[in-house]
Amino acid sequence: MAPQHHRTSVSRLLITATAIAGLAALTACSGPAGEIDENYGFVVAEQNPDSEITIWADATRQPAVEAFQKAHPEVKVNLVVDDGSANGSATLQTKIALADQAGEGWPDVAFSTQTNDASWAAKETNGVQAFAAPLDKGYFDEDFLSGFTPGALDPVTIDDTVYGLRNDLAPVLFWYNKTLLDEFGYDVPTTWEEYQELGDKLASDHPDYFLGTVGDSFAGPYVFYWSGEAPIYQVDGDTFHSDTSDANSMKVTEMLDHMVANGTLTQDSVFGADFVAKADHLVAIPGPAWYSGALFQNPDSVNAAAGQWGAANPLTWENGGDVTGNVGGGMWYASSHSKNLEAVKTFLEFIVSDPSTAGTGGLPAYQSAADAWLSDQASSGFYDGDFAGAVSTAAGSVWNGWGYPNFSPETSWTKIIIPGIASGKTIKELSADWQKEMQNEAQAQGYTIG
Amino acid sequence: MGVAFVTPYTLFLLAFGALPTLYAIYLAFTKNNAFVGLDNFVRVVQDYRFMPAVGHVGLYLIVWLISLIVLVVLLALAVHGVRSRRLSTSVRFIYYIPGALAGASSVLLWLFVLDPSVSPVSGLLNLLGSDSFVNTIQIDRLPVVLAIIAFWTGAGGWIVIMYGALNNIPNEVMEAARIDGAGPIKTALFVQIPLLRKWISYMVILSLAAGTQLFVEPRVLSQASRGVVPQDYSLNQLAFLFAFKQNDFNGSAAISLLLLVVALGLSVFFVFRGGLFERD
Amino acid sequence: MDPGRWLGRALIWVVMAAFVVFFALPIVWLLLAPTKTLRQLLLDGPFTVGSFDGLLQNWMDLTSYQNGLIWTWLGNSAMYSGLALIVTLAISIPAGYALALTDFRGRRTLLATTLVVMLIPNTALVLPIFLELSAVRLVGSPLSVILPFSFFPFGVYLTYIYFSTAVSRDLLDAARIDGASELRVFTRVAMPLATPVIALVGFFSFTGNWNNYFLPFVMVPGRKAPIQVGLAELLSNVPQFNPTNAASTTIDLPALALGTLFSVAPVLIIFLFSQRFLVTGMTAGGTKE
Repeated sequence: MAPQHHRTSVSRLLITATAIAGLAALTACSGPAGEIDENYGFVVAEQNPDSEITIWADATRQPAVEAFQKAHPEVKVNLVVDDGSANGSATLQTKIALADQAGEGWPDVAFSTQTNDASWAAKETNGVQAFAAPLDKGYFDEDFLSGFTPGALDPVTIDDTVYGLRNDLAPVLFWYNKTLLDEFGYDVPTTWEEYQELGDKLASDHPDYFLGTVGDSFAGPYVFYWSGEAPIYQVDGDTFHSDTSDANSMKVTEMLDHMVANGTLTQDSVFGADFVAKADHLVAIPGPAWYSGALFQNPDSVNAAAGQWGAANPLTWENGGDVTGNVGGGMWYASSHSKNLEAVKTFLEFIVSDPSTAGTGGLPAYQSAADAWLSDQASSGFYDGDFAGAVSTAAGSVWNGWGYPNFSPETSWTKIIIPGIASGKTIKELSADWQKEMQNEAQAQGYTIG
Repeated sequence: MGVAFVTPYTLFLLAFGALPTLYAIYLAFTKNNAFVGLDNFVRVVQDYRFMPAVGHVGLYLIVWLISLIVLVVLLALAVHGVRSRRLSTSVRFIYYIPGALAGASSVLLWLFVLDPSVSPVSGLLNLLGSDSFVNTIQIDRLPVVLAIIAFWTGAGGWIVIMYGALNNIPNEVMEAARIDGAGPIKTALFVQIPLLRKWISYMVILSLAAGTQLFVEPRVLSQASRGVVPQDYSLNQLAFLFAFKQNDFNGSAAISLLLLVVALGLSVFFVFRGGLFERD
Repeated sequence: MDPGRWLGRALIWVVMAAFVVFFALPIVWLLLAPTKTLRQLLLDGPFTVGSFDGLLQNWMDLTSYQNGLIWTWLGNSAMYSGLALIVTLAISIPAGYALALTDFRGRRTLLATTLVVMLIPNTALVLPIFLELSAVRLVGSPLSVILPFSFFPFGVYLTYIYFSTAVSRDLLDAARIDGASELRVFTRVAMPLATPVIALVGFFSFTGNWNNYFLPFVMVPGRKAPIQVGLAELLSNVPQFNPTNAASTTIDLPALALGTLFSVAPVLIIFLFSQRFLVTGMTAGGTKE
């Protein structure tokens, strides 16, 4: 058997060598093939107008997708429900990276609750064509795109190219419980200072009643710090800036600590069972426009009665500008790898602009749908006060000091602040760590710290 | 002829043992196909998440291994001391059955156990000072929580093994100890535990190697806690983030390689020094 | 009996009983939870039984989720673990046999390598294997899971131990003298004796692969995922664990508990009937003194 032995060891070597050589060759030559299609402005996969389109979206978007299926039975849809990248989980980014490696498995349409995904989705990675298709280079009609509320597409506009469509605008308003305020004899606050005073009065006169929560990853950064013009999440080119000890940051921190201490800000998530259980003790809450559908008109959440709740202009700081924060407002992306771009276009146009479902419970980003939604809300009289006026004011006053870098401030808030305050620390004690964490994340993503 | 029998297996060994290792080595020492020496290693080790992840995994391993050694030996001795054959079998059976729930399933079950609002032991959780899920899985408590989960899933199998090893101790040895007047504690300390030593070290080595690879437990906990358990808790999670969030496969390969070296080192040491395996 | 010894014995019993509770309690809870409604789960005592209607409702909720996606996931699991089982047996049994009962050059090296590789946890090679398979464009295909699943050095080692202790070389030599070819010796003499080890290797391969999360998680996401990966995906739709607000499409905790039960059912059943396997298998990892 001796010759055989010899042969196997040689062939074994050969197999290994060929395999490694094969690997090297393959890694070296994986790049996009094909030419840029003039009608679309990017390299288009071979089209098949009958093929099913796969949509990745969160559960909140499901009813709207189903409405589309009813309206357009000719388009075959496969909806895959995920977490919508909530809390900065980067689900979409990691799943797309996996698909990029596999060379297949991309969805045709993807939804994200985050506004910053274009920062990676518009870029080619490791030789694979950027996931997000450019939309204004021929793919979508200029007429359609110009129907968005001015500024709505800013987060997905990179180098003057639009890479996604905005689902809803999510400026922070001040939501208040008219019934409770009247019962207790309080006025609706208009400034953050008055909001804090209201907290003091509630804490002493009506304990167990509360004014919101800091338990959601988005609530802290976007609702409170963004509104306070706190310079903690700023981008200038490749430079990231964060300063939690700035005077604007400090005033927000102090207010939050004060109100967490007296119990008027809770640590529950607005989506949690604990929050829902005490929702009848909620006196007011600053929050985004989509709280309308997510909380007040949701039978499984606050489930407000008509006329019970109202929305007022965003709170402002006495020494600050008339500005507010913003909590997402999801984004839809068309895949540049899609085999059925026409169906994708039909879907996206419907989902962002159809007056019956656009906005998915929030303020539609598409102007005509927004007008319809606002006038519906006004004519139904569901909300107390000048609802449309408050929403429009808020939408026009989102502070433009924050950027859209390739990471979310939510991950550091959940990592540092939420467990920290749960164990009894104050945000003030934690804020240096929070800032450090954001800066570290920025550096890991390739930003310089300034 | 033997060669023909082992060829398919050898090919798999090359394709899914040797080749990925070689490829990881290649990636870890290059960037854009150019040799860069230790750059990738320096970059990942200096990453702000690396040392905390090492700390997390290390702390978890300490808690887990100590509880594993102490409790497994204790319980094996206790079960071995049970006279009723049926009772002893039933107890062992109950100890080992959670082994069926590994991976995501066991973590998911523990999500329920750790969430005071649904937990079967919410009283106990409250007693330990956790009134909410976020509180139970705070990062300082996580090593203990993860150790409990791992112990729950894995300890039963080891107890059964130790029990088997105890059964293999010849009756004469036990008898001699008794005649010498040794009580159960002395017998355990001076006769049984020394004879279990090899098995204990086998358990420690395998558990140590597996523990450094921590991935699914913190990942699912992270998903379930809206990120309170960070996505970069363990080293394997970090390697995953490097690959799929930062598109840095070279850095990812460097971390994987570091982990692989640890596992390989432990394994080689044990196979050639531990003397538990027949290598003929 | 003196009081000291009596106390010691009582203490041992208490510890043993405490751990019986520790190991059994979560499983008992898991068996009861799917029979309850969410409200019962949150408010009733943890060890109360819900109702058959509750179970039926949870069953409907779970199986109607995404048009029965759970069945797809379970089917994938069965396919991946099942095919890997066949390939594993086909390559491991002959290899273990050859290592134990034949001579060839490189035998000792192969055996030593097998030992070393078998002690490496399978998660350690996941990312390297992913990178390798992505370089050959195999990621996303069922093969990317089945092939790595089929590489099972521990199975080879078990077979090796079995053949070297349970089958004598004399028996094989006798067959050879009768003029049987090597292949015939293997199929007619060795294989009929190998049933126990085939079952053993099969058990470890199947249960290990069924419960594997990391490898399929990176290789085959989405609809191609096995149940372990799918189960974690389900989490995204549980309002208690993830912010989501469309009540019509969510998975409630009892349905999630049922999903967990689904995901472990096959392995649990195998475990229930094969305690002996497990013990022999795990102790076969080392030889007697």
